[in-house]
Amino acid sequence: MTALSGTQTAILGAYAELIEELGSDDVSNRVIARRAGIAERTVFRNYPTRVDLLLATAAWIEATLFAREESHSIFDLPLAIREAMHRYDARPELAHVVAETAMRGMNGASPSPGRAHLEQLLDAEVPSLDPVQRRTVIAALSHLDSVGTWVTYRREFGMDSRDIADAAAWAAEAVLDSIRDRVTPRQAT
Amino acid sequence: MEEPVDTATAILASAAVLLRERTFDDISYRALADEVGISERTIYRQYPTRPHLLAALSNWIEQTCFPLPPFVTVSDFRAAVHERFRAFDASPAYAYVGARASAISPTLDAEPAYITRAIEAMLDVAAPTLNQRDRRRVAASLRYFSSSMFWARLRTGFDLDAAEICDAFDGAVDAVLARLPDAIWAKP
Repeated sequence: MTALSGTQTAILGAYAELIEELGSDDVSNRVIARRAGIAERTVFRNYPTRVDLLLATAAWIEATLFAREESHSIFDLPLAIREAMHRYDARPELAHVVAETAMRGMNGASPSPGRAHLEQLLDAEVPSLDPVQRRTVIAALSHLDSVGTWVTYRREFGMDSRDIADAAAWAAEAVLDSIRDRVTPRQAT
Repeated sequence: MEEPVDTATAILASAAVLLRERTFDDISYRALADEVGISERTIYRQYPTRPHLLAALSNWIEQTCFPLPPFVTVSDFRAAVHERFRAFDASPAYAYVGARASAISPTLDAEPAYITRAIEAMLDVAAPTLNQRDRRRVAASLRYFSSSMFWARLRTGFDLDAAEICDAFDGAVDAVLARLPDAIWAKP
């Protein structure tokens, strides 16, 4: 995520607040400007279209409100996923906005923001996977480590936050089972 | 395609036509009204907000373009999902609408999708002694890996084509099912 100006942070924070109060469909730039304490044209100047504003807001929410503690091992990921599901559950409106934004199928909507980090961890601990195995593991873990999991488990199965966290972490453990016996011994440094 | 019978369906059919040349965000109610030949007001009456339109459009596309092949066994399930992913790849604009609609706050009914029930029914037959906790875990995983969200994520975030997405799906299903002991599978 590129560094934001103070004005941009104020705009994104105001928009996120208003989404929680009013829903994402009913918030005009005028209302955002008033909440952020700036002129309406400043909103336009920073985010010319509604989609620009939405992409920036979703990225900001992911990086702040939904930020997770960094995993130091790929095998720690189920813990991070479990915590993330509770965080989504505490902010349902924002969770839906982030989930929808990731599914727009366009440039700028990055559906797997944690992918590079997962690849780093996997390459350090389990470097012997062939490219297809590696891709399969990363794809499955990226998918599980996302707000889409929370949305789907809640909507399709009526699960509460505890059940969602359990089922998502369980699936991540299942994916990790396939590489548990492939870990490279630690090098003394 | 059959002739649409009512206004609500006519609006969806026209929205689907417009989707071939622009994204959902770029389909205004004004343009949609012109395409159908009705007033903008009539569209608002049917679909008071864009999320309502998105959800209804996704359901319509799902039924019209991506009917789910029926499945009973796990191997039929895999084949059905492969067929869907290939269909998504052939009509990405339509598939993205489905992925997006499945991510929004529910506006219409909160009914689970047909595929969710079909997966649960499949597990009941294939693994009748599976405990409830594991059944939910397995069903939720299979459902999520067979979703249009999985297809969309791998296409946009990983640049994969349908064949590669099917491989990733099979790998994920293998991993999930491998967590269950052999003894729970019903003997044919």
